[in-house]
Amino acid sequence: MITGSTRYRFSSSRSVTRIAALALMAGVCLAAVPGSAPKSRTLGFVITIRNIAMNESRFVDECPEGFNVGYDEIWWRGLSKVDRARLTSNGLKVRLDRYFNAIRRGPNGEDVCMNPTVVKDPPLLLAESKESYGMNLDGTANGEPTPKSCKHQKFVGVDGTAGVDNQLYRLLACVYGFRSYGQYEANENENRKSNGNGMTLIEITDVDDTRNDADVKVTFYRSIDQYTLDAGGKFVPFASYRIDAPNGQPRYRSSLKGRIKNGVLTTAAGDVNLPFYGNYTYMNQLLRDMRLRLEIAPDLATAKGMQAGYYDLDQLMFYIGGLGPISSTAISDCPAIHVAAHEIADGYPDPKTGACTSISSAFNFSAVAAFVVHPDASQTASNGQGRLDRIVAFIRGLL
Amino acid sequence: MTFLIPRPINRRSVLRGMLGSSTVGVALPFLDCFLNENGTAMAATGAPIPVRFGTWYWGLGHTPGHAIKPKAQTSAGIDFLQECAPLQPLVPYLNHYSGFNMPLDGRSNYTHFTGWVASRTGSAPSSNSEIPAPTLDLLIGDAISGNTRFRTLDVTSVGIARENYSARSTNNRAAAEASPERLYARVFGAEFADPNKADFKVDPKLMVRRSVLSAVGEQRQALNKTLGASDRARLDEYFTSIRQLENQLDLQMQKPQPNLACHMPPRPVRDGAEQNMPMGLEVETVVNNHRMMSQILAMAVACNQTRIFNMVFSDNFSHMRRPGQTYTHHLLTHEETPDKVTGYQPVAFWFNCRTMQAFAEYIKTFAAIREGDGSLLDNVLIFAATETNYARVHSIDGVPAYTVGRAGGRIKTGMHVVGNGDPITRVGLTAMRAMGLSPEKWGTQSLQTSKPISEVLV
Amino acid sequence: MKRGLLAWIPGTVLLALLAGCGRSQPQVAGGEPALRLLSEPQYRAVVADLFGEHISVGGTFDPLVRTNGLLTVGAAAAHITPAGIEQYDRMARSIAAQVLSAENRDIYVPCQPKLAATADDACAQQFFTSVGRMLYRRKLDADEVRRPLELAAAAANQFGDFYAGLETGLGSMLVSPTFLFIADRAEPDPENNGRLRLDGYSRASRLSFFLWGSAPDDLLLTAAENGELFKAGGIKRQVDRMLASPQLVAGLRSFFNDMLAFEDMDRLEKDSIIYPVFSSAVAQDAREQTLRTLTHLLIDEHGDYRDLFTTRKTFMSGPLGRIYRVSVERPDGGWMPYEFPEGDPRAGLITQVSFAALYAHPGRSSPTLRGRALRELLLCQKIPDPPGDVDFSLFNDPNAPSRTARQRLSVHATQKSCAGCHKLTDPIGLALERIDGAGQLRTTERDMTIDSSGDLDGVKFTDAAGLGLAMRNNPAAPGCVVNRLYSYAVARVPARGDRPFLVHLAENFAAADYRVPTLLRDIATSDAIFAVAPPRLRTAAAGAPEEMKR
Repeated sequence: MITGSTRYRFSSSRSVTRIAALALMAGVCLAAVPGSAPKSRTLGFVITIRNIAMNESRFVDECPEGFNVGYDEIWWRGLSKVDRARLTSNGLKVRLDRYFNAIRRGPNGEDVCMNPTVVKDPPLLLAESKESYGMNLDGTANGEPTPKSCKHQKFVGVDGTAGVDNQLYRLLACVYGFRSYGQYEANENENRKSNGNGMTLIEITDVDDTRNDADVKVTFYRSIDQYTLDAGGKFVPFASYRIDAPNGQPRYRSSLKGRIKNGVLTTAAGDVNLPFYGNYTYMNQLLRDMRLRLEIAPDLATAKGMQAGYYDLDQLMFYIGGLGPISSTAISDCPAIHVAAHEIADGYPDPKTGACTSISSAFNFSAVAAFVVHPDASQTASNGQGRLDRIVAFIRGLL
Repeated sequence: MTFLIPRPINRRSVLRGMLGSSTVGVALPFLDCFLNENGTAMAATGAPIPVRFGTWYWGLGHTPGHAIKPKAQTSAGIDFLQECAPLQPLVPYLNHYSGFNMPLDGRSNYTHFTGWVASRTGSAPSSNSEIPAPTLDLLIGDAISGNTRFRTLDVTSVGIARENYSARSTNNRAAAEASPERLYARVFGAEFADPNKADFKVDPKLMVRRSVLSAVGEQRQALNKTLGASDRARLDEYFTSIRQLENQLDLQMQKPQPNLACHMPPRPVRDGAEQNMPMGLEVETVVNNHRMMSQILAMAVACNQTRIFNMVFSDNFSHMRRPGQTYTHHLLTHEETPDKVTGYQPVAFWFNCRTMQAFAEYIKTFAAIREGDGSLLDNVLIFAATETNYARVHSIDGVPAYTVGRAGGRIKTGMHVVGNGDPITRVGLTAMRAMGLSPEKWGTQSLQTSKPISEVLV
Repeated sequence: MKRGLLAWIPGTVLLALLAGCGRSQPQVAGGEPALRLLSEPQYRAVVADLFGEHISVGGTFDPLVRTNGLLTVGAAAAHITPAGIEQYDRMARSIAAQVLSAENRDIYVPCQPKLAATADDACAQQFFTSVGRMLYRRKLDADEVRRPLELAAAAANQFGDFYAGLETGLGSMLVSPTFLFIADRAEPDPENNGRLRLDGYSRASRLSFFLWGSAPDDLLLTAAENGELFKAGGIKRQVDRMLASPQLVAGLRSFFNDMLAFEDMDRLEKDSIIYPVFSSAVAQDAREQTLRTLTHLLIDEHGDYRDLFTTRKTFMSGPLGRIYRVSVERPDGGWMPYEFPEGDPRAGLITQVSFAALYAHPGRSSPTLRGRALRELLLCQKIPDPPGDVDFSLFNDPNAPSRTARQRLSVHATQKSCAGCHKLTDPIGLALERIDGAGQLRTTERDMTIDSSGDLDGVKFTDAAGLGLAMRNNPAAPGCVVNRLYSYAVARVPARGDRPFLVHLAENFAAADYRVPTLLRDIATSDAIFAVAPPRLRTAAAGAPEEMKR
């Protein structure tokens, strides 16, 4: 039983959170508060809207030959008039209804998204723009091969930075469905907002100064709580989110070293696993050599950021292959993307074949402040004894 | 005044009736309408059309100089200005009263309270909660609403049940119906007997309920004798209320007379956004609730479910607000900076205009119901008033009032009545006379009057 | 101190002397026998206690007039209107139908009818006498048993259903005046010739509605039946039991809900554009938070009442976490204890969201409303209503638009008719200005830093926590809760004759370090709670509220 004196017991990590909460109130001067000298604090954010970083021009100049055709179109073109009538109930089946016919156009009726190599489709039209969002991931100025990268073309950053790597943009910019007005990205964000899957929490610890701090630690977690939305459906800052930690062990816990300069957080590179959900696909998204850049608003309530790193190709194709019936409305073609992705992949060459297994990528996102609740606090059961035991075990585990 | 006198009813006879046959009801006269001489007859049945009384309340008065063009003396015709423009086409249905005062004999003007209490009870309160006498509607109701299903229907569109400006005394005030859905269910739900339906069968459950109430009525004698006189009066009130409910059931056990004016009103429907905020003080929510409730209320009157009906559009402190604005209607009247050109507080004025639009809508709802040879408005009298003349300074002298309807031909309409500083109670006394009551005088101290407004009485 | 002086006296003598002290408490004349309408919370509590939380009550209750700061006192003068009866009748039928529904009836009916399709007087009588005793808060007399039985028999035979009969009978009890009114029954006092005393059942109801906010339980009614509530020992036994019961929490919640005027929290509404995070869930939890804070400090921790104004300990839920901007353990639901850190602007009840949001406008804060509520609710000081003839033009000066509330309200100081009251409300209300209209912290208003300094009756402070401390140390604060609790217990406005007893209570409260359970015990075991004066047989001027008549 929890007695009166232990009722208000909080673990050390929680005190930190509370002091952070205090600091978050703009204008509250910590130095003026007796007994709470500024120690390292914690900032937390939850990613709200996240998109593949696409540099879209108004007249789609990056795709001079237009958008790629979708697999339905390819299937349709390959049919005789008799087959068109036979396979579409004499033309009565509309595009969505003929999805299963269109997708199974392998020579033996294979699903071409699950088996993208069984057909040879027209080559994918790639972005021909010179500018892109992203970061320099391989460290080279011109995209020459290195032990960790294959030869590729560089972009100039949208902000003028030289040497930007973002082959994912090159790959998908001319696929209608992945652009801002296409279906995939909008769906992905809407899905996450409504069902809470694939929510990423960013926790910044060891913060001495929220505007300038040369040494902080950034950790990515998955949330098990859905977004807190206000009456107008907007994301509410400063809500609490518990991290996904069955048996006290966080399922996601990748960390990066970082620094804050004038309110902008940047990190060193490191492999980061992120929870991902979109278009009915739930998966782990591994970004190798990922760097984070996060502009934190002065009131600490919101932030805007970019994650850039090498996206594992198998995961990317798993996602694209699983896009399902909405592909026909979003217009894309798995086999063509598969071929192109392997051609332009630029990261992590296979030691045996030399072919790259990852593709440079960048994601822009928005975030709102969040309290990241750790398992010692979140696993308060109604049974007080159990909770105490867990707290003790957790603290011992830290020692 | 004919207060409802409890009649002894033999419970056993009711029980016997209940046991015998489900079609035996308790015989009661249908309508003991007092307006036989002057009332017209219902087309279908030849039964006289009753005259009903209602009130409409709005908070925070008018914007002086922008609502009604002043007149020097009482005469036909009303010139409405911008704030009241929606009322202009409705002049044939209404009278406007201006220049009436509220002398308080040295008592405080409890802001936003004294005004409505004085105009409705004829007495100025001595505290910010005292209701010194029964309100006008109840006085009239005591005389005319003995035989209707509901003794009164009190409704408010601001979503706050206690905002009901009908009360018998400080501690004797009913809650208003604040939800259109509940109002509909109460009046036109399963217990409503459609007068124009051919078949009529008494629900045996009604008779059981009737016998329950008469059993409760028997407990009158059993209650403790050590109570003081005022508490015994409260118990009497309880039993009177029980009797009223019994009457209500008695009426439901009789086949109602066919009534061509009576139709089931539309069931309140809200669209998706409103479902989330069905109650509230956001002005469009209030207006929307008011619209739905007006339709139900007007039809409840047409269907003779009640003779007394009270509608509160906005509360006396009008807490109405517009989305995203930090100031409520009331705060605006005090703190908004007046426009240099027009001289009025622009957003407060906007609220006043919105209020008068709603008033016009209310009048039209009644006007649209055909009854006898004319409209429902021929047979009702609605007293519309507020608590202040100019909310910015809480002035109560010159407080505006309206009457709507012709009270079965007893009231002339289209008149602008000028009070010349007479007490506002003259309007209430006039309403009582029009409703067939004949009190010599009404009100206390300087609010007392024995002079109805003869210019409008027929 | 008396206790110090008595310390050397041997035990038995001490007991005798203490018993003597009990009798020497100031006598009060009492009010006339009261006829209290069950208030809405009492009605709901009675139904929930007797039939369970799963029985829904619904309904709209006639509004009560807050009297001496309490609706419960207003209930002693409340009438039932025709519309009110309609509601009670509807609720009675609905409750009876739920209780005797096929799925529930076996829980409540202690017997099986001989035949389900006909009346069974024996079984019905068992049901009505047991349920009726709890509803009427006393043993039923012969007529009171006969009436529902006859109704039940007639209805059972009419509908061919024994339970339809019970439903009819139960419905009649729930709409009966004996249930709806808590009627004091006075009888000649055998120990004081010519005087009246409350009968045992009325005493049971007084104690129960005071301490539990609900009707007496079986043990308390039995004690009343056995005459125990006429003996000091018997009363003490029951009061001890009631104070130790978990029901005490419900009782105290009921009282503070009334004292803090929390009934308005049910319809508290904020502008969703200005305060998007505020929701009905926040309002509901804000009320719950304050009540939990109160009962935790006062009962669980047996704390000092005055510490309510400074305590940093409270409870937090998911929706509240967003307003307070603190981390919560279970964002998906549930409550956790929470303590604001030292130096946090939040300390004490008056800095909680409930108070801050309730006494504010939908889109802005209100120092005046807050200041007035602090004075009236927590210090029992009456602030006069604003005069009717204020010139508001100073507020509307287009050449000097005010930016902060302090600037706006400073106009009051220049107006004689305003200054008197506003100097009581504004300096304390302005101390809470760093909490906005939805209860969120802020430091600026229209880009101006908010000055939250002020003073309470000469005690100066710089922020809300300082105001809390000043409230804590203000002698009116404990005095106020003494007044309200006593008034709540006896359901009337304390009269001049009650003053010595109130002083006595306040002194004991102070001597007990302001422990509320001790105060409750003092009131519950006093002669004053049961004192009754002969009824006035003629009405005073009708309509005037109690306060006016005095």
